[in-house]
Amino acid sequence: MLGKCFSLITIASFVYSVITGRLHLLSSAILDGAERAVTLSYSLLGVMCLWSGVMALLRAAGMITLLSRILRPVLRLVFPYAFRTGVARDEIVACVSANLLGIGNAATPLAISAMKKMRDDSLSDEATDDMVTLVVLGTAPPNLFPSTLIALRRAAGCTDPYSVIVPIWIVSTLTSALGVALCRACASMRRRT
Amino acid sequence: MSIGDIPSAILPSILFICALAILRSDKGAFDAFLDGAADGMRTTAKLLPSLCALIVATSMMFASGLADDIASALSGVFGAVGLPSEITPLLLTHPISGSASMASFSELLSRCGPDSGASLVASVIMGSSDTVIYVLSVYFSSVNVKRTRHAFPVALIAMIFCIFASSLVCRLFFDM
Repeated sequence: MLGKCFSLITIASFVYSVITGRLHLLSSAILDGAERAVTLSYSLLGVMCLWSGVMALLRAAGMITLLSRILRPVLRLVFPYAFRTGVARDEIVACVSANLLGIGNAATPLAISAMKKMRDDSLSDEATDDMVTLVVLGTAPPNLFPSTLIALRRAAGCTDPYSVIVPIWIVSTLTSALGVALCRACASMRRRT
Repeated sequence: MSIGDIPSAILPSILFICALAILRSDKGAFDAFLDGAADGMRTTAKLLPSLCALIVATSMMFASGLADDIASALSGVFGAVGLPSEITPLLLTHPISGSASMASFSELLSRCGPDSGASLVASVIMGSSDTVIYVLSVYFSSVNVKRTRHAFPVALIAMIFCIFASSLVCRLFFDM
């Protein structure tokens, strides 16, 4: 996927620069880009270190368990089958909690193990209602503290890197709510037909 | 304290909670922090190769004039629906890969200015949606589910909604 993305952009840019006669600009842009990748990673390194450490600590201190307990009543409405039968329920709750805290690294393996349990239960190559809802929530998770984004904004020299947090709370909550509502609507439409 | 002060209070408060957790628990808590921090370091180091490739590719796209020409070709459409056309490269890469969208995002911030309207809208889009196509393919292919039903259309609608909501909310929040 990443390789295709790289090839597509590179080939398109090369061909376009030949057509528009900008080929001589590319070589310095390539070296600049490689250099910028290093400065960007370098400026992210400290924040990533701190944030992953903090999240590991909160996890060890039972933060995900606490958050799961708070989220349970809401998620009961979002994943009715999982809560009725208990299939993959704990994995789903932990995965949504990890997403909410912005720990993508922890959320992906939890999501995959939830998907495996649901697959073993459904015994079909067709996605169940809960699977689709979990995936849609994964593509647009509600986000409490976007740490990497803040680090990127700081590195770029924003006067107030935090200014976008309240808008992100609003938009990410609305987006997740819309995704879940559409999933539930599709699921109930199917049951009726 | 107003609602605008809350975001800048989050990080110090979280560290305060961490400090309490370390004091309260046995020595395991600080070890968890160190392990996690080492993990974060490894993640960033592992990010560098793909970030390098994608930043090189996107800076070629900008140097060749392709990004600007696509953006200006679409600016009529984007203007009609109220989106800044500078975010086009981000919208093209964001659904596919996290490192590609980081590359176009940092390029956008340095070209348009970190406090410009386009940068604000791009930030809210980045913070409010994940890499849609990547997540769909990883989650479903991990369990070999082929018929994904309404997953793709719903995720796509949510993403489009997110883009427009970001621009609308930014206009309500900031002078732009």
